[in-house]
Amino acid sequence: MNRGVVPAGEMLHCTDLTVLERQRAHMKWQQEQFHVVQQQQQQQESYFSELSGVFSVPSQVSHVQSFEGGLLSGGGDSVLGPVKPDPALENGWPDLGKVVVPGYGFGPCGPAFDADANYAISRTTSCPPAVAAEAKVKESSIVNHKMSAAVGRESFKKRKADKVHNTKVGAEDEAKDKRMKGCAEEGDSKIIEQNNNNNKSNSNNNRETSGDTSKENSKVSEVQKPDYIHVRARRGQATDSHSLAERVRREKISERMKYLQDLVPGCNKITGKAGMLDEIINYVQSLQRQVEFLSMKLAAVNPRLDFNIDNFFAKEVFPACPPNFPPIGMSSDMNNPAYLQFNPVQQQVVSCSGLEMGINPSDMGLRRTISAPPETFLDSSCFTLQPSSIWDADLQNFYNLAFDQGRSTITTTPFPSQPFTGSIEASNLKMEM
Amino acid sequence: MNPKTYHHISSNPSSVKSRFTRGFLRAFKKIKRQQRPYLYGRVKIAADKSLALAVGSRRAWSRALLWKIHYKAWRQRSRFNNKKKLLKENKKNKKNKKKKNDDEEVGFRHAKELRKLVPGGEAMDLCSLLDETAHYIKCLITQVQVMKSVDQIYSF
Repeated sequence: MNRGVVPAGEMLHCTDLTVLERQRAHMKWQQEQFHVVQQQQQQQESYFSELSGVFSVPSQVSHVQSFEGGLLSGGGDSVLGPVKPDPALENGWPDLGKVVVPGYGFGPCGPAFDADANYAISRTTSCPPAVAAEAKVKESSIVNHKMSAAVGRESFKKRKADKVHNTKVGAEDEAKDKRMKGCAEEGDSKIIEQNNNNNKSNSNNNRETSGDTSKENSKVSEVQKPDYIHVRARRGQATDSHSLAERVRREKISERMKYLQDLVPGCNKITGKAGMLDEIINYVQSLQRQVEFLSMKLAAVNPRLDFNIDNFFAKEVFPACPPNFPPIGMSSDMNNPAYLQFNPVQQQVVSCSGLEMGINPSDMGLRRTISAPPETFLDSSCFTLQPSSIWDADLQNFYNLAFDQGRSTITTTPFPSQPFTGSIEASNLKMEM
Repeated sequence: MNPKTYHHISSNPSSVKSRFTRGFLRAFKKIKRQQRPYLYGRVKIAADKSLALAVGSRRAWSRALLWKIHYKAWRQRSRFNNKKKLLKENKKNKKNKKKKNDDEEVGFRHAKELRKLVPGGEAMDLCSLLDETAHYIKCLITQVQVMKSVDQIYSF
């Protein structure tokens, strides 16, 4: 369910902002027409406030991206809320401008601010919003523009109308460029339905804006209308279901590749999917080969099964223990719950092998430990005088174990190792028969 | 490397690890108790099988691995009975196989090799193949870890 929530969320904001910006550019154009016709100071004032409303957008971009994962679900509403152009457009944007940029004077400085502000806006539309750092840089530059605009307020009054049109055309061109770019990076415009809240709020938002500007860009509103569309394309991108699905798929693949890149060591430096795949293949092959090698090694090894398993589980359960135990230290592990838990298994082993060599009842613990190994010796084929010495050494360990367990009266009488080797041989003979 | 983003891919590794350890040791013990030839192959199969069982049937690769092991066992058993029939079947299967066109995309020419490595990879699309590969790599890492420690303990 949670696949790719964070990147999808980021992209969602970005795409929405681009759409909003584009629509705002349209609205701005509308307003400018209005300007040219009427040329009144009040209108200019409203226009200025609108522009300041636009100004607030890039700072909010950086805001959103600085909070990234944390605020994504809730942030969608709160951040995009004040940008809603719908009521503000009808009122000529006075409230918004006052709310967002209260520090700037309105009436007289309107046109001067306009010129510079338009420049800034064209820049914001040209910036690819998927890049957070760039957006931040943009923001700072825009702040600079603001300052300069505040300084040189009353200089550009006459040139205003012309310049507005020019900048508008420039913005259009840049938008076209961006569209071309967008075709290249199609995956960016993907939106997954899983973050429903964001999607709904934003789609509502967009529907309101598109209701205002529906005459001009019917295409955008067409894309944005229904709630059940999972993926939204940019303008100029293909919107048929096949290409949308393809885009989603590619996005998924790139996400997986990223994850694999994190997983496979030494894959970070390689760029390009072919190289990464090669690296992944090599890694999987090496791992499989390692498993083969280890199983070979394990097949060759002579397991002293009983206490080793307990030991292993003690280690697994309490990983703080050192990996290699001295044989006497084992006794402390034997008291672990793991050992108690696996006692029944050992009992089974004893019953299965069916050795009958009970010397005395105090022997039980020892016999239990001995019961399994002789069989394994049989299949390791070299069964002569050699192993007996090894087994003697092992028996010392077993002896220690039994000793430490304090199972019975063994503690007082030292064990002769002779009867045990004898019993092993006896059992082996039995097995051979 | 945001762990939050990818937590869906990793099933709880510690539990898989412990389950694998338990199953593998049991199987290993069993193998060592029965004395048969081809010990190496049997240990390998036991390791694979217990890994797949530890992961469970949620994952496509573990399902495929289990199926493969069962199928091999079945074929070995039935090889003595009817050799010729099986050979014919194999030939038919080879003829029926078709080339996938999914990997033709740029940069994914090597996906064919990856399909061979990941069990059950032939039947997946590229997206799920990568997903399964990630999980498979994780499980292989735990397998190697556990087997190494078993080896260490058995041969000290």
